[in-house]
Amino acid sequence: MTEFIIRRLLQSVLVLILITILTFSLIHLAPGGPFQIMLSPGLSPEAMETQARNLGLYDPVPVQYFRWLGDLLQGDLGYTFKNHIPVGQIIWPTVSNTIVLMGAAWFLTLLISIPWGIYNSTRVYSLSDQSASFISYLGFAMPTFWFGIILQQIFSLKLDWLPLSDMYTMSKEGDLGDLLMHLILPVTVLTLGFLAAYVKYSRASMLEVLHQDYIRTARAKGVREGRVIYKHALRNALIPIITVVALDLPLLVAGAALTENVFNWPGMGRLFVEMAVAREYSVLMAITMIVAVIVIVGNFVADVLYAIVDPRVQLNKRGGKAA
Amino acid sequence: MAEKLLEIRNLTVGFQTDNGVVKATDRVNLTLNKGETVCLVGESGSGKSVTSLAVMRLIEYGGGAILEGDVGFKGDDLTSRSQEEMIRIRGNKIAMIFQDPMSALNPVYSVGDQIAESVMLHQKKSKKEAWKTAVHLLRLVGIPAPEMRVKQYPHELSGGMCQRVVIAIALACDPDLLIADEPTTALDVTVQAQILDLLRKLQKDLGMSILLITHDMGVAAEMGDRIAVMYAGVIVEEGAVADIFANPSHPYTIGLLQSVPGLEGARGEELYTIRGNIPSLNQLPTGCRFHPRCPHVRERCKSTEPPVFKVNSDHQAACWMYASGGDSEAWRQELEQRS
Repeated sequence: MTEFIIRRLLQSVLVLILITILTFSLIHLAPGGPFQIMLSPGLSPEAMETQARNLGLYDPVPVQYFRWLGDLLQGDLGYTFKNHIPVGQIIWPTVSNTIVLMGAAWFLTLLISIPWGIYNSTRVYSLSDQSASFISYLGFAMPTFWFGIILQQIFSLKLDWLPLSDMYTMSKEGDLGDLLMHLILPVTVLTLGFLAAYVKYSRASMLEVLHQDYIRTARAKGVREGRVIYKHALRNALIPIITVVALDLPLLVAGAALTENVFNWPGMGRLFVEMAVAREYSVLMAITMIVAVIVIVGNFVADVLYAIVDPRVQLNKRGGKAA
Repeated sequence: MAEKLLEIRNLTVGFQTDNGVVKATDRVNLTLNKGETVCLVGESGSGKSVTSLAVMRLIEYGGGAILEGDVGFKGDDLTSRSQEEMIRIRGNKIAMIFQDPMSALNPVYSVGDQIAESVMLHQKKSKKEAWKTAVHLLRLVGIPAPEMRVKQYPHELSGGMCQRVVIAIALACDPDLLIADEPTTALDVTVQAQILDLLRKLQKDLGMSILLITHDMGVAAEMGDRIAVMYAGVIVEEGAVADIFANPSHPYTIGLLQSVPGLEGARGEELYTIRGNIPSLNQLPTGCRFHPRCPHVRERCKSTEPPVFKVNSDHQAACWMYASGGDSEAWRQELEQRS
């Protein structure tokens, strides 16, 4: 197991390095470039030259890359062009805000959908199963931004039960109760979008497993039905669910970007949109890197979970069948 | 008279389909004595597995239901038991092994876990003791280095070994009856022979009864004390193994035996086949279910389903040919000439 984790970890690092090269090249290739924005207007061409040389813009591209990478490794994400603020200072608070929103939505989604899916797999076409289907289509069909606005209309403007937007009420920053109130609407929007797919998915995965021969073997042993489902079937059914959940992580980040804009949530997604408009390349690069890291970590965690759940995953290490 | 262990009476199993209830077995009668091996033989879809799953009361999990009849086990009717009560019988008094050993074992649990589970379910043993029993059982079913194998997962074992593990699970609680549903069908021929030898040896040592389901007449000849032949949900012939092979009486059994290739006969000679196909269970013919395919069919067969007639003291067949009176004498002679 340790060997597997180390091997997988090295792979992740390699992928991360490739992503840094890719990100750097993409931004470097972008036409126009951010350079002009940084300089005060009316500067003489000679002064411009000196300025550029001082900034290292005439160095060979690989040298520039390694300098950027070195800074990155030390946590230095660069400065914004316009106001020369450290990028980290802008980004880190939004990252944690996004994680709060995303984490809450994700946790709630899994908490509801997997047990519900399992329950439905044992009662196919029951009322519970049918309503899951109904909610599925509803969740799929409603665009995040539209549904968000509808909820705002009803629950904050008409009924005035919940705050309209933002993360905290002004002057109540850091208040947990206030945060929870603000979370309800965006989390509902995000959860409903993902819930549907996951309920369907865990139901289908369970149903497939429940028709396997080893389930019949378990029943023939005299295992009671609850144990058949939660011990013999669930662990097998979880394998494909883990894949989907982990691979959906970037989708959730994307979903959060839309939701953040609708609810004015001070997260990474909203920041990305703002900074794209302002052409703040260093911020965009940093966000791209952070999202890439999230995706890689998600995949890594999924693979480790695989290895824990399914003994066959480590097969390539010391496979071989006994005759 | 031998002691009866299992007595299936008039067992009818139905499945709910879009076209109404379909009967997968129809008034099946079968008796198994203590220490005896009975082979249930028939084509795919003839109701063999359904019968065995109904005995275990597992048929309910497959969408089926016992519509009629009862299953006497040690003088107790299993059809009137609740699933809660069946849990104590399954794997304990009646155990079952299946066709495809590779898929019959749970891929995410070790061999030891799966054997020990059965031990712990039915016996008051600690986990440690149960694992010890698991090692012992693996040795019993002829797996070398059981201390090492017990920690392995099914994917690390071959098909033959997996079947031995499945047998070990079944033997965990020393059952009175072992139901083996095509235990060798998915295995290589040499491994088949090993598994059959193992089953025979275990039966002798442990004194259990075996209900062996197979479509292979060779396996049935090898293993059985008695054979019951099933066709389209009914048992058409039943008798002692030697008697069935020496003197097959139902035209279907005769056809089955003729369609097994033998070592004699000219090379290139065409193998006998029973013409037609096994009927679909929702479109059964009237009268005898075999009549559209029977080379000896008479008018009576088309209209009335034949009851079971005695051929001799321990051999019976569901064919009008064995009814007394009428032209049955001449009929049987025609049968002998043809075969």
